[in-house]
Amino acid sequence: MELTSHQFKSVSSAKLKDVKLQKALYQAKDGFVVSRAKVVAELDNFEEIRQAAADVRDHCLAHLDLYLEEWEKQAQAAGTIVHWAESYEELNALVVKIAQDNKVKKIIKSKSMVGEETGLNQYVEGHGIEVKETDLGEYIIQQADEHPSHIIAPATHKSKDDVADLFAEKHQRPRLDDAEKLTHEAREILRPHFLDADMGITGANFMIAETGSTVIVTNEGNGRMTTTMPRVHVAISSIEKCLPTLDDFALIMRLLPRSATGQVISNYVSMTTGPKRTGDKDGPGAFHVIILDVGRTRVLGSELREALRCIRCGACMNHCPVYQNVGGHAYGWVYPGPIGSVLTPAYNGIENAIDLPNAATLCNQCGVVCPVKIPLPDLMRKLRERQYEKNLKSSTEKWSLRFWAYLALRPKLYSVVTRVMARAGKVLGGDSRRIKRMLFAGQDWTRHRDLPAPRGRTFRDIYINKNKTANR
Amino acid sequence: MSARENILARIRAANKTANIDDVMDGAVADRLGSPPISALPKLDWESEVHFKLRCKESASSLDEIARIEELPSAVNRYLSKNVLPNKAVCWPEFLNLSWAAEGIQMESRGAIGDDKVGLTGSYCAVAETGTLVLLSGPDSHATTSLLPETHIAVVQRSRIVKTMEDAWRLIRGEVGSLPRQVNFISGPSRTADIEMTLVYGAHGPFRVHVIIIDQ
Amino acid sequence: MRVGLFVTCLADLMRPSIGLAAVKLLERAGCEVVFPESQTCCGQPAYNAGDRQSAQQLARKVISEFADVDYVVVPSGSCGGMIKTHYEDLMSGLPEHRVKAQWLAARTYELTDFLANVIDMNSFDTAFQGTITYHDSCAGLRELNIKDQPRKLLAYLPHVDLKEMAGAEQCCGFGGTFSVKYGDISSRIVDVKCDDVEATQVDALVLGDLGCMMNIEGKLRRRGNHKTKVLHIAEVLTGLVGDETE
Ligand code: SF4
Repeated sequence: MELTSHQFKSVSSAKLKDVKLQKALYQAKDGFVVSRAKVVAELDNFEEIRQAAADVRDHCLAHLDLYLEEWEKQAQAAGTIVHWAESYEELNALVVKIAQDNKVKKIIKSKSMVGEETGLNQYVEGHGIEVKETDLGEYIIQQADEHPSHIIAPATHKSKDDVADLFAEKHQRPRLDDAEKLTHEAREILRPHFLDADMGITGANFMIAETGSTVIVTNEGNGRMTTTMPRVHVAISSIEKCLPTLDDFALIMRLLPRSATGQVISNYVSMTTGPKRTGDKDGPGAFHVIILDVGRTRVLGSELREALRCIRCGACMNHCPVYQNVGGHAYGWVYPGPIGSVLTPAYNGIENAIDLPNAATLCNQCGVVCPVKIPLPDLMRKLRERQYEKNLKSSTEKWSLRFWAYLALRPKLYSVVTRVMARAGKVLGGDSRRIKRMLFAGQDWTRHRDLPAPRGRTFRDIYINKNKTANR
Repeated sequence: MSARENILARIRAANKTANIDDVMDGAVADRLGSPPISALPKLDWESEVHFKLRCKESASSLDEIARIEELPSAVNRYLSKNVLPNKAVCWPEFLNLSWAAEGIQMESRGAIGDDKVGLTGSYCAVAETGTLVLLSGPDSHATTSLLPETHIAVVQRSRIVKTMEDAWRLIRGEVGSLPRQVNFISGPSRTADIEMTLVYGAHGPFRVHVIIIDQ
Repeated sequence: MRVGLFVTCLADLMRPSIGLAAVKLLERAGCEVVFPESQTCCGQPAYNAGDRQSAQQLARKVISEFADVDYVVVPSGSCGGMIKTHYEDLMSGLPEHRVKAQWLAARTYELTDFLANVIDMNSFDTAFQGTITYHDSCAGLRELNIKDQPRKLLAYLPHVDLKEMAGAEQCCGFGGTFSVKYGDISSRIVDVKCDDVEATQVDALVLGDLGCMMNIEGKLRRRGNHKTKVLHIAEVLTGLVGDETE
């Protein structure tokens, strides 16, 4: 996917003014936050489970080579054809080759964020093969020719009216006006495609080393269709999605649906191990898995490695005050919100997404909900440190902070300067005691809000003076 | 070198650079050999009661019968009550029951696009989440629980286990290696992709009816 | 017991009444208050901007200034959080300083945490009365677990009525330099906060962090709300408010 993170400022400002989007974001926030809180409260030892999950993810990453080798061994024993890809181009080309080798004309696809990274649909379609997204949200996005704005609810930025207009136009049917009818129309339109597609592409939420399986977790059933109906199934995944055992997966499943959609469990958890077996009446004749490493191993060896624990639940964005107000598109790549603010620069180069780690209040609303305890604010701060070292910070910010630090390290000078500031501030504030307009860097503050004026004297002046008087 | 070799080499190099402390006991082989179970929540409920509660929460309906011979009438009861077609496909294990006596046209085969009702068994069920566990195989078509608008599933009371971990233990012990697909099904298919409005019947069944049987 | 007051640069410059109120509270609790005069800033702005070196220098300065007190009390969740949860990270690679940072962290308390849990203070001399709502600042809440402490203290005031707002734990959008670098977004976030405050129709918004305070108060005034007072909890607990302190 094309990277547009450098436009964060202008795009986010526009998004704040988009009334329809604001309404959609407001609805989504309420839905996700409230329902997560409810099902998390049901578990008496949520924190213990979170810690165990973080430990399992760390353990797996620490021995990722061994677990991937074991996964591959088991997968191959079950008849899975395993491929590895080191670039987006390589993964896309592998998919097309598998399709061509199997004379595939039509592909049905169930949601994959790795596929979004590689720009898979466009590439495959460029080779004359039809691709149908089947997750309702992804289908809407594909019809509208847009990108997902959320990792588990891709069309959350669209209103029901948007979808109604879109479907009426694309389906050439009368315009429908409620979510249920629209959903069922999409079901009706997509059903024949499930039945006659030659190949299915899915992502993989996890790869289980113990059994060589891939797992997808969905609610709609399109994932099951995609892994069962066509004669060829290709799952695309990335190296960090590995989990050691089935029991580790069970542990993670107490967290993923709760954190993602506020469900105790998602409707369908489908674990696939190899292609159709002797005697089976359904299932694909061939099953391929492509494992990607773009950026992952670089992150694994870096101070950002905890980000690889991510299980893509979306809770960090749902709880982020910035995401809640600007939505996912402003972030300019596949992963929005706090985890996006870490992964986007980590995978694409920190100079290509300068705003993202800075456009955060470091409130840690993300960190406390992350089911695998990724310290997202700390990782964003580390990215800021690298920016600072590489001289990628704006000079105004850098020099004002340097000036402040210079002063703060010189207490005598500091007390004089702050004394002057306190007095001047009081004068500026006047009777209303608020400063309505400041100059230079200060105007960015007063453009949006007043500054409560200082009271004329610093604490140290009052306190020290008082003590002197008292001691006299 | 192949992509595979390159990637594995990079992982090894990265883990070396990062110089990480692994907090977990036991090496990789131990974990794979005897998978440990960690951090279970308090499971202070009776399995069957909790299973039923969770089924209702995930919008499945429930019925109970004592013997397999009662299945046709239970199915008939459900279909008539919900004004559903009396034509269905099922897994082979159920074909020889007296369906005709209940006026139900039953066929044993995988489902195709037009089938309206599918009847399946289940390998076991998980009480913690109200989940049916189905294993694919020659006599357990995956399509039967997927394509029809109505999915009726039979669950044996004695096979309602507490957790997903218990289900894995059962599978490891009884089946050995995994079949092509293990499906955990918790209620009818759903989506909330349009304005967070919950809608049933996205791509899979609109309804799931669970019949618990004594033996 | 000797208690060092780290007044914070914002309170020092913008709202000295908070520092004076903190002193009054500590003295009432029988503490000997020590105010190292060379104190300035905890280094958080530099730390969050990625200037680790400056942050480290300032941290070392704070560590040495408070080397000989029993406790350090900070009337701010974010500066308290900086000292308690981040100084150690800043000193990684400097073992000797790291130990000192840990030592300081263990003795540092946010003001309400200190009053509620160390002193267990239960009576206050304040003229303040009215209805209030409490904003949980991010660093206080999520770094230091400050949630019940201020509420416990406020419950001892017979003429103060606490009415919780929706989204009390939601960030106000300040975020230090974020508030000026991403002013549009920050402004929207604080607007939502102001809506929540106003919906409670209380006399005063009370909180424990200067950054949030300037942000929310500034926004309320800009919106034309001159009625809702915005007060630091130390001001409420002592009745020392604004200019009356001089
Ligand atoms: S970073 Fe954590 S909260 Fe965010 S998507 Fe990943 S697992 Fe979920």
